[in-house]
Amino acid sequence: MIAAQNLSKRVETAAGPLDILTNIGLEIREREAVAIVGVSGSGKSTLLGLLAGLDLPSAGEVFLSRHRLNDLDEDGRARVRGELVGFVFQSFQLLPGLTALENVMLPLELKGARAPGDQATELLTQVGLQGRLQHYPKQLSGGEQQRVAIARAFATEPAILFADEPTGNLDNVTGERVIDLLFRLNQDKGTTLVLVTHDEHLAVRCDRLIRLEAGRVVADVEETRAS
Amino acid sequence: MIRWQLAMRLLVRNRRSGEQRILVAALVIAVAASTAIGFFTDRLGRGMANQSADFLGADLTLVSPRPVDAAWIREARAAGLQAIETLAFASVVVGGEELLLSGVKAVQDGFPLRGSMRTAPAPFAPGAETRELPRPGEAWVAQQLLTALDLQVGDPVEVGAHRLTITRVITFEPGRVGNPFGTAPRLLMRMADVPATGVVQPGSRLTYQYLFAGREGEVTKFRDWLEPRLGPSHELVGVKEGRRAVGSALERAERFLGLSVLAAIVLAGVAVAMAARRYSERHFDMSAMLRCMGASQQDLLGLYLPQLLVLGLAASAAGCLLGWVAQYGLLYLLADLLPATPSTPQAWPVLAGVATGLVTLAGFALPPVMRLKDVPPLRVLRRELLPLPSRAWLVYGAALSAIVAVMWTYTDSWPLTLSVLSGGILLVAVLSLVALLLLLLSQRLNTRVGVAWRFGLNNLWRRRRGSVNQILAFGLTLMAMAVVALVRTDLLTTWQRQLPADVPNHFAINILPDQVESFQAFMENAGVATAQLYPMVRGRLVEINGIAVRKAVTKEARSDNSLNRELNLTWTTELQEDNRILEGRWWQPDDTGKPWVSVESRLAGRMGIGMGDELRFAIGEQRFTAEVASIRNVKWDSFRPNFYMVFPPQVIERFPATYITSFYLQKAEKPLLRELVARYPAVTVLEMDRVIEQVGRIFRQVTLAVEYVLVFTLLAGFAVLFAALQASQDDRLYEGALVRALGGSRRQLRAGHLAEFTALGGLAGLLSAMGAECLVWVLYSEVLHLDHRFQWPLWIIAPVAGALLIGAAGYWGTRAVVERSPMLLLRNQ
Ligand SMILES: Nc1ncnc2c1ncn2[C@@H]1O[C@H](COP(=O)(O)OP(=O)(O)OP(=O)(O)O)[C@@H](O)[C@H]1O
Ligand SMILES: [Mg+2]
Repeated sequence: MIAAQNLSKRVETAAGPLDILTNIGLEIREREAVAIVGVSGSGKSTLLGLLAGLDLPSAGEVFLSRHRLNDLDEDGRARVRGELVGFVFQSFQLLPGLTALENVMLPLELKGARAPGDQATELLTQVGLQGRLQHYPKQLSGGEQQRVAIARAFATEPAILFADEPTGNLDNVTGERVIDLLFRLNQDKGTTLVLVTHDEHLAVRCDRLIRLEAGRVVADVEETRAS
Repeated sequence: MIRWQLAMRLLVRNRRSGEQRILVAALVIAVAASTAIGFFTDRLGRGMANQSADFLGADLTLVSPRPVDAAWIREARAAGLQAIETLAFASVVVGGEELLLSGVKAVQDGFPLRGSMRTAPAPFAPGAETRELPRPGEAWVAQQLLTALDLQVGDPVEVGAHRLTITRVITFEPGRVGNPFGTAPRLLMRMADVPATGVVQPGSRLTYQYLFAGREGEVTKFRDWLEPRLGPSHELVGVKEGRRAVGSALERAERFLGLSVLAAIVLAGVAVAMAARRYSERHFDMSAMLRCMGASQQDLLGLYLPQLLVLGLAASAAGCLLGWVAQYGLLYLLADLLPATPSTPQAWPVLAGVATGLVTLAGFALPPVMRLKDVPPLRVLRRELLPLPSRAWLVYGAALSAIVAVMWTYTDSWPLTLSVLSGGILLVAVLSLVALLLLLLSQRLNTRVGVAWRFGLNNLWRRRRGSVNQILAFGLTLMAMAVVALVRTDLLTTWQRQLPADVPNHFAINILPDQVESFQAFMENAGVATAQLYPMVRGRLVEINGIAVRKAVTKEARSDNSLNRELNLTWTTELQEDNRILEGRWWQPDDTGKPWVSVESRLAGRMGIGMGDELRFAIGEQRFTAEVASIRNVKWDSFRPNFYMVFPPQVIERFPATYITSFYLQKAEKPLLRELVARYPAVTVLEMDRVIEQVGRIFRQVTLAVEYVLVFTLLAGFAVLFAALQASQDDRLYEGALVRALGGSRRQLRAGHLAEFTALGGLAGLLSAMGAECLVWVLYSEVLHLDHRFQWPLWIIAPVAGALLIGAAGYWGTRAVVERSPMLLLRNQ
């Protein structure tokens, strides 16, 4: 599903070139749930960005499904993202001017789906927010906002879901609930899940754990799910 | 593929966002201002163009102070044209106990050749078209005449020595051109009744109008035939000239209105740019998110540009509607200056308004909004990532093009556009500097004021770029308003103050030579002191040093009025008390009969006439030459008879002359005029007090109209203020939460805001006072030639008004900062 070969990312900074990622190679299969862990600054988000085609590597290649991302320009990668990918982020990226329902409808409308309102209502019901359809993000708690974000991510039934610290802003209990939801939907819809976290607790619930240290993969372990 | 529908949905969902509202409000203001003017000038212009012929009552009018060669009329008729004669003169009309100087017109069958008269059977009744004319012994009169004389239809009026019966009220009358008393109330009568009035005497000031109408080619042919035959005192008015004559009075008003509108549009543009910038910044996240969801750059443009377009169209539509309503205000304010039948409004000002809206939007909003397509999708992971800032040249280039485009449509001339533009840029640069200095000074005061003021002044200084912009926006607007108000109130009072109390307020002209002595005795009997009676001969200056005047003078002077109309020539031995000889010398007793002339200094300057020049004059069909022997300075506003050209005795005495004098009458003495006119029917009394009143009224109307439009400019200034408040909103929210978290009370915070905006308004007012003082000083000394006084009330009123207005608006605009609890601020990151 996702393949990365010899992936490196180097950026120019005032203090000279900085290697954020060096020689990463990995392959993620369909329906797999993968956790990327590591300390802060180890390059997790950067890797996620490269795998999702939000950015291009300095060297190496990324394949998403059958697309070779290096061959595509920004708009081409956007098309691939639209086709295959959903996102959940640490800071929830809900649009403050839109209600919960409208936020979930957005990707559906973008795709030109029929009856986006019904589908979005259905999804929000699945995440337990049927009573909060018309609420604006600022009227929702952090956990509720993240649930809206998850509903939105699944709205287009993406083949791959990328999540960057989805529980980073939440307390343990709420974080747990959000993760439960994520895994449940992942299983229901057969989505491939790439999850960045520094919460080992959460990581062990995945099928596979990739550990980064200073931009290198130091461990790649398949596990049985703990849940 | 992003759909139009989605764009519209987002637009609707965003309707409550502040920046979108400000953007719309600013556009509405710009469009309303420009369409109000557009509708107004269009109606005016078309009213004049369409009805120019109707207005003239003919296709071609020949105006002459004397009857013209009957052969010309025969020629016209032979060429297949209709031709009729009318006669206009000013005369005091007497009704009951009252009298009124009126414009009288005597007509014959066939009048008017084009268009038609409209009359009503009674005062204030609706007018209807008529093909009839007053019958002999009847008079049709204008509404004002009835009101002024307190008459009814059916009452008798006296014109000179003849009594007529009023049978109808004129509501519209074509052919009001070439009449020096065009604004005086009208009376229409039969040509056949004129001899009985006794008004027509040799030397009376009469205006003969010959109306011609026919097919276009024939009219042109006749015109070509006639033109070379015209004498210097003839004037030919065709449809084109008619329009120009009527329109020129309003042209200046239109200029000022256009300039005010331009200022409103530029200010609105600034507000639009600020709002668009914030709109763009607030949509970075959404753009990044949409890019993550697979939207291409084109999709983003497809999402935002339709929204912008719809906003622009909606705002333009609202603006047009508002402008359409607002034009009635203008029509009302300028009613006295407009043609009697304004035409119905048309569609093109709407198009022009919409175009203004879209051009403003494109020029000011497009560059920031275009940035949205360049938001990197990686922003979803790294919030600090921004699209590249728009290029400065793009931002300013687009704005400047928009301004130039709009400006050009108003001025219709490149040199004017460029000079207004560069003048504007210079003014803005200088005033920005002054505003910055003021801000710096107030910042210095900082340590000597209370906490609230310190907070407010600090805020202004911290955001000094925005503060300067706002001080400038309001300063300029208040300045324009102050100048217009000052000129309006001051011009008339200053002028009147400079007149001594018993300055003559009436002129008597057309006094026949054999009446001079009895007239003087009559006035003496009545106890009214008159100025000297001066003989007056009407003639034209035709050559200077042997070169035809039109060729001899500079281009600008060619349009000079004194060239185009007859000059009043006189002779006298005594230099008038308020005249001063600048060059040469005044007549000595033995100068009598010498072909010399004394020329008024300003006219001499304009026409390039110097000592010793040979001037050739035409009086009737005769010509003679005189040498310039002195240049005189004349105080025109003394209201005594004054002349451009004064000869020694026995140079022009052989020409027919009438006499002129001036005198002062109190209101209570006015009935004397009635007796005077009855005794001397040919004499025309000019009631200067009424003229001054009327000039004052027109002047007040024009300035009021300009101020009316300046209100739009002020509103645009508020749009800038609110856009700036929006831009600093997040900052302020954070700051407010911080102040309150640190234990500051809501009251303290609000007091700080109040101080901030009061100071801002006060500084803007101060700036406007400085600017207005300078401008008025230049205006008075260079243009209006009035004594300039220090305008001290301005220095109090402007800052106070600015402080109140902007203090209140800013205070209101920042209310959200404390209405939202600090808690909410925390939750929303
Ligand atoms: N464009 C860039 N320019 C400079 N430094 C960068 C850039 N992008 C990433 N970095 C640096 O690279 C390192 C890795 O960043 P990244 O965001 O991938 O870390 P992370 O593992 O996600 O950390 P965290 O757990 O804190 O989110 C960090 O030190 C970051 O500052
Ligand atoms: Mg990270």
